[in-house]
Amino acid sequence: MDIRELKKLENKRKMNKGYMWALFCALLWGIWYIPGTIIWAVPPFDAMWVDIDATHGGSMATIVVALLISAFNALTVIVALLIWNGYLGKFGEMKRTLKEFHPCSKWFFLASIFGGPIAILGSFIAIGFIGAGFAAVAALLYPVIGSILARQWYGEQISKRAWMGILVIIVGGLTIFVGGAIAEISAGNLSYLGYIGGLMAALGWGIEGAIAGKGLDIAEPDVGITIRFLGENLLYWVILIPIAAIAGYPILEYALQAFTPLALLVLGFAGITFGFCYVCWYKSFPLIGVGRGQGIGNLYGLCAVIFMYLFMAQVPAWTVLVGGALCVLGSFVMISEDTGDMESLRGE
Amino acid sequence: MAGLRPIKFRLLELFSDEKEHWNNEIVEQMQKEYGMNSNFGRDSINFDIIELASGGMLRSVQSKVDEDGVYKKGFLLHKYIITDFGKTRASDACLMYV
Repeated sequence: MDIRELKKLENKRKMNKGYMWALFCALLWGIWYIPGTIIWAVPPFDAMWVDIDATHGGSMATIVVALLISAFNALTVIVALLIWNGYLGKFGEMKRTLKEFHPCSKWFFLASIFGGPIAILGSFIAIGFIGAGFAAVAALLYPVIGSILARQWYGEQISKRAWMGILVIIVGGLTIFVGGAIAEISAGNLSYLGYIGGLMAALGWGIEGAIAGKGLDIAEPDVGITIRFLGENLLYWVILIPIAAIAGYPILEYALQAFTPLALLVLGFAGITFGFCYVCWYKSFPLIGVGRGQGIGNLYGLCAVIFMYLFMAQVPAWTVLVGGALCVLGSFVMISEDTGDMESLRGE
Repeated sequence: MAGLRPIKFRLLELFSDEKEHWNNEIVEQMQKEYGMNSNFGRDSINFDIIELASGGMLRSVQSKVDEDGVYKKGFLLHKYIITDFGKTRASDACLMYV
């Protein structure tokens, strides 16, 4: 085999490795919706919802409980990530990266705003109002946002085939949102806050991916993702939870009651699945690019629907199934291009 | 190890002399600087170089098979050079502090 053939093979291996990370991300992300659903019925979160519902109504109760669950999710994720970085011996690199706030770690803190209180909170809101199947499938639109922003901001290449995939995903996304909304309007009970939650997830994760890609240019993925979750924890525990408490919601009381074996078990399960799904997601970006990483990561929608059916007996509406199938098809179109000659993801 | 910068910053710094460098030579130098002498440390640094190339900041200009086992016997060795995009990222991200 000559050098050119070897180089081509090496590039292919590198891309395959990126796809493998993105696929692991999809599996773990899909599993995450199981603890993400169960936690709503686990004490003290169930009692918290009833308590706030009595004083502020069901919608507000769902949003405030979603906020507390998101905050605990971020907490268990950071624990899982710190253990992971400790195992890899990367605390030194983390300290060095954190110190470089202006050139580097600011991107991860910025990513945490879009990924945390917008995407993850939005996702929990969608789970709370409509269900995990919808929440998972609604966010499938996010690679479209990520790919377009990655192209605009730092010239990441998007091939014609990738654009075609993006178009199919958009059609799928419209089927999920518009189809579901029409069915609910005709039934007279539109959970519009759930749809806003789904949209928050799609926008938030798409923007997060593109911003994180900028930071990942010059940082290690394991370290970058941990800094991103450090930022998310600060946002919840230093800003949003105190604001909710000051606004009169009993969020701190219930936060203290959440340290029970059952709640910690479910939250721990969420932390491990979500933490490592993010590790895989961020590791795929430098190898295959934000667009492709998000495209293959999109298979989490399919995984989530399957897992929710197997473990929770939840069958989503037909619009969700058709839209989800289109999104998965679009993801396959995006990633099925030949990558053997591609040495760089950028246009140079 | 006080004063060390993140690994990818340092890698860009090393390439910012605009000369061509073999990956195994850079990896060896980085292993010494960062005290990452294990095989895991070696592969981890090399992977960072691969990520920089994948991100368009370095470009492979020459390759050869590692016949003598200077890095990993039978694997490809690459000679990289910093790209214009790499110079931009290096200057707006880190080297302005050097």
